[in-house]
Amino acid sequence: MKIAILSGKGGTGKTTVSNNLAALISEAVLIDCDVEEPNSHIFMVPRITGEEEIQTGYPVVDDDKCIHCRKCADFCHYNAIIAGAAATMPLKDLCHDCGGCRLVCPAGAITYEKKGIGTIYTGKSRFGSDFLYGQLHLGELSGVKIINRLNEMTADRDLVLVDSPPGTSCSTVAALEDSDYAVIVTEPTPFGVSDMKMVVEMLREMEIPFSVVVNKAGLGDKEVYDYCRGENLSISGEIPFDRSVAEAYASGKLAVEISDENRSLYNTLWLNIRKEAEKSHEN
Amino acid sequence: MNIAFCSTGCELKSELDDRFGRTTYFLIYKTETSEIICIENEARMAKGGAGSQAVQQLIDHNVSVVIAPEVGPQAMDALKRFNITPYNQKGAKTVEEALALWKDEKLPLIEEPGAKGLHKA
Ligand code: SF4
Ligand code: SF4
Repeated sequence: MKIAILSGKGGTGKTTVSNNLAALISEAVLIDCDVEEPNSHIFMVPRITGEEEIQTGYPVVDDDKCIHCRKCADFCHYNAIIAGAAATMPLKDLCHDCGGCRLVCPAGAITYEKKGIGTIYTGKSRFGSDFLYGQLHLGELSGVKIINRLNEMTADRDLVLVDSPPGTSCSTVAALEDSDYAVIVTEPTPFGVSDMKMVVEMLREMEIPFSVVVNKAGLGDKEVYDYCRGENLSISGEIPFDRSVAEAYASGKLAVEISDENRSLYNTLWLNIRKEAEKSHEN
Repeated sequence: MNIAFCSTGCELKSELDDRFGRTTYFLIYKTETSEIICIENEARMAKGGAGSQAVQQLIDHNVSVVIAPEVGPQAMDALKRFNITPYNQKGAKTVEEALALWKDEKLPLIEEPGAKGLHKA
């Protein structure tokens, strides 16, 4: 089973939730797919045993062969090639490595070169469980390839927890690939609700069953609860705001490490999530 | 010679647009005949690569000078490669004003790309 943990925007607690669960469930593999800003490794403190560079291709035009027909530029869906009488100019940062321009070029003027866009680190967390995370290089625009590879590398595992990128970008959609279930982490604030709506729509469109976890419960207002009731969304848990947890978090410690109370809170949360997930796949 | 303006409308009196890649229209003025052509910017709604798509349209219309607010780094490289010279529209409100200033050689060249331009996918 693959369970994605996501949120409408960054900082609502999806890392808190996914990492506490990963610390608790030793058979779960945690993958941090928030490759633009991974931070699960701060809490997992993994012993890294493997590193893989992820590359992408981009076109290079041989000016001697190019007959300036502009077919490549007309074809490219990402505006990654500009073509005129004077030159044909690929823009490698915009290229999505689809391979199409080479296919349509009648002159055989296009070849591809590779560049590294990021790295995947594999290891064991300080809790003894398997942990993988990806890191996109600074300045790169798309982490989708790294995320796809993370999914591929864990495809045969029994239980995978995914720390997804926030929002509803292409990266989030990639991270959700093959997820059986999703958990939206939100805060009880009006902002929390408006960011969450888009995520709800995305999950419905992708037909991934999900439930909601309210983080920092007790701090904000009732809007999240009203919204969930109105949309008929189930809430699988609430994590009350707790100053001692926030302080521990700031020094790299997880809630489940600091008290039995928190352990049982996350234990219950996990049982609820698992129950909801199993239920959603029965019917 | 064809000069392109980033414009909010299709007339010489139209106000300039404050975006390059996502400008509403490109108003093209032919210096030889004083004729104007108005093209709706296809890149306006582009998810990414608006700057490059905008440059492609300028190339397709044989533009050699563009009057713009600011140009992103990728588009800047492309303009150079295709010998399109960018001038800064600052000081002008309408296309007409910008054209007059350009004729008097009062518009500065855009030499450095602006920070904007890269829109994440
Ligand atoms: S490989 Fe695809 S995305 Fe990249 S430049 Fe060619 S057509 Fe465009
Ligand atoms: S398709 Fe090939 S020949 Fe035609 S412009 Fe592109 S690179 Fe040149």
